[in-house]
Amino acid sequence: MNVRLETIRECLEGIIPGHIGTCDAEGMPNLAYLSQVEFIDNEHVALSYQFFNRTRQNVLAGSPVRLLLTSHLTGAQYRAELQFLRTETAGPLFEQMKAKLAGIAAHTGMSGVFKLLGSDIYRVLSIEQVAGPTVAPPPPPVNYLTALRRAAQKLVGCANLECLLETALDSLQSEFGIGHVMLLMHDEGRGRLYTLASRGYPESGVGSEIPMGVGLIGISARERSPIRIGFMASEYTYGRTVRDSIAAEGYADTLETAIPLPGLPEARSQMAVPILACERVLGVLYVESVADLHFGYDDEDALVAFAAQLGQAILHHQQADELEEDAPAADSTPPTLAGPPLSIRHYAANDSVFLDDDYLIKGVAGAILWALLQDFVERGRTEFTNKGLRVDPRIRLPGVSDNLEARLVLLQRRLEERSAGIHLAKSGRGRYALAVDRPLELVAD
Amino acid sequence: MLDRETLAFLQTGVSISLAACNGARLACMSRGMGCKVLDGGRRMAVFIKRSQSAELLDNIAATGKVACVFSLPSSNRTLQLKGEDAVAQPFDPADMAVVNHHIDEFVQEVVPLGMAEQVVRAVFACTADDLVTVVYSPSAVFSQTPGPKAGEPVGRAS
Repeated sequence: MNVRLETIRECLEGIIPGHIGTCDAEGMPNLAYLSQVEFIDNEHVALSYQFFNRTRQNVLAGSPVRLLLTSHLTGAQYRAELQFLRTETAGPLFEQMKAKLAGIAAHTGMSGVFKLLGSDIYRVLSIEQVAGPTVAPPPPPVNYLTALRRAAQKLVGCANLECLLETALDSLQSEFGIGHVMLLMHDEGRGRLYTLASRGYPESGVGSEIPMGVGLIGISARERSPIRIGFMASEYTYGRTVRDSIAAEGYADTLETAIPLPGLPEARSQMAVPILACERVLGVLYVESVADLHFGYDDEDALVAFAAQLGQAILHHQQADELEEDAPAADSTPPTLAGPPLSIRHYAANDSVFLDDDYLIKGVAGAILWALLQDFVERGRTEFTNKGLRVDPRIRLPGVSDNLEARLVLLQRRLEERSAGIHLAKSGRGRYALAVDRPLELVAD
Repeated sequence: MLDRETLAFLQTGVSISLAACNGARLACMSRGMGCKVLDGGRRMAVFIKRSQSAELLDNIAATGKVACVFSLPSSNRTLQLKGEDAVAQPFDPADMAVVNHHIDEFVQEVVPLGMAEQVVRAVFACTADDLVTVVYSPSAVFSQTPGPKAGEPVGRAS
C-alpha cells in the first residue's frame, strides 16, 4: 500500500462523494456514489448499507471492490481496492455511522430517504494516488499534538476533581479553540448523565440531565464511542431527543427537567466523546459549533486521547477522596447569623430542595444538601467528610461507583449559581466545609 | 430511451465517472472531463485523462463493457448509462471547447456548495494531448438518484 489511509481521511468525510465500482458475474461494471465511508483503521473502512442496490448485489456475489476517493482540500484522487468482510447492524460503529449519515442526509435534502441498514466492513487491500495536479492543503486550524500535549500537562497539575473540570474545559477552549463545550458525568445507578461544567453558553446548565442512550451524548455514553456529526441533524438535537424520550419512556418523574440542558439551538457540528477509565463510563465531553464540518477526524483523535487522560485523572481523584482524608480543620465557632431567614423546603419523595420556593436540585445532591443543613441547624456542624456522607443513611448512595465527589461539585456549583448564601467548599482531601450567611428555616415535606 | 431532457441533463455541470472491469472482475474508474452526445443519443463520447486511465483503457480494450455515472451535485439526480461496445479513440482537439465548457459548468455547480474553485480546477486540469475519447452506445439506463428506487432501470436505450 503506497498511501496510509490515516493520512487521507479527509477524503472519507463525504464532502466530495467517493465512487464505488463493482462488477457482476457477466463482467458488466457498476458504478455508484457513496454517501459515507467510515475510517476504522489503516486496514479497514466501513461503507453505509442503505438500500439493496446493484452494488450490494455484486459485492455479496463476490465482486472485488474499487473506490475512487477525492480530497476536498488538495484535489488529490486515490483508488483503493477493498475486500468485503461483514455487515454490522448494531454497536458503536453502526451508531457512529447512523449519526453521521443523519447529518449528511439533512445536509443533502435526503432526510427520510437515507436510513442506515448496516455498516459494511471492508479490508483495504491497496491505495494508490491517481496522477494529476494537486493544490497545497490549507494549514490545520490547530496543531493537535501541541494542543494535546499542553492540555495533558495542565491536567497533571490538578489536585482535585474541581480543578480537573475547570482545567479540562479551559484547555479545550484555549488549546483546541473549541468555543462551546460541556462535561457531563455518568450517574451509573440511575442511567443518566448530568452536566457538571460547561463553557460558551449563557446558562451553565449545571445539574441538567440526559438519559443514557438518548441523543448524541447519551448514545456516545451507551456505546462507549465517540460520535461526530458534520451537519445539522434534527433527530440528534437535544431538545427534541430529550422531549421524545421523556414522552416515550416515562422519565418525567425522575429526570431533571427544571434545569435546561445548555446547547446551541443551531448546532451544525457536534461531537460527543465518552470519558472512560478502567472499563467504566465516567462521563462525556461534548463540543459543538454553528459551522458545518467543524470537527474532523483529527479533532476526534485529539479529544479521545484527552478524554482518556482526563478519565484516569478523575478516577484517581475520586478514589483518593474516598480512601484518604485530611485532618479536620481547627474547630471554628460558626458566626452569629442575622437577617431574614432563608426557607429550605425538602420533598422526601424525590429529594428535591427549594430555597425560598425556588427550585435548586433534586436526587442524590438534594439528599446530601438536606443532610448537611439538618446537621448544621441542629448541631452547628460545618465540617463534613466524604466517608461520613457515604455511610449516612439519609443519603442512600447506591455504591462507590456513584462518584460522590462529582455530586458534591454539582451541589457546590448549583449553590454558587443561585447566590443564596449557602456555600460548600472543599477544605481538604475527602473533606468539605459548609458556610451559611443567613439563618435557615428547614421545612420537611 | 434517452429523451431530449435527459440528453440535455448529461451535458450540464454533472460529475462524470467512467468504469470498466478486468478479467478478474476488478473495476477501475476515472473522472470524466466532459461528455458529448453523438447520433442523437445513440452513442456517447466521454473524455478522460490518459495519464490517469491506463488500467481503465486496458479494461475497455479487453471487454468493451463500461458503466458511466452522471450526477448533478445540487440535486443528487443521478443516471448510470451502461454499454458493451466501448472503444477508445484519439481526442479531437476541437472537443476542447466542450471540455472547458463542462469544467466551467461544474465549477458553477459546486462552488456554491462550498467547494474551493482552486481545488475543483486542479481535479479537472487537463490538456488536449492527455485526453482520450471513449465512445459507446448506451444499452441500459438506470436511475441512481438516492432513494429506494436507485438502481432501477429507466429503460433500455434504443
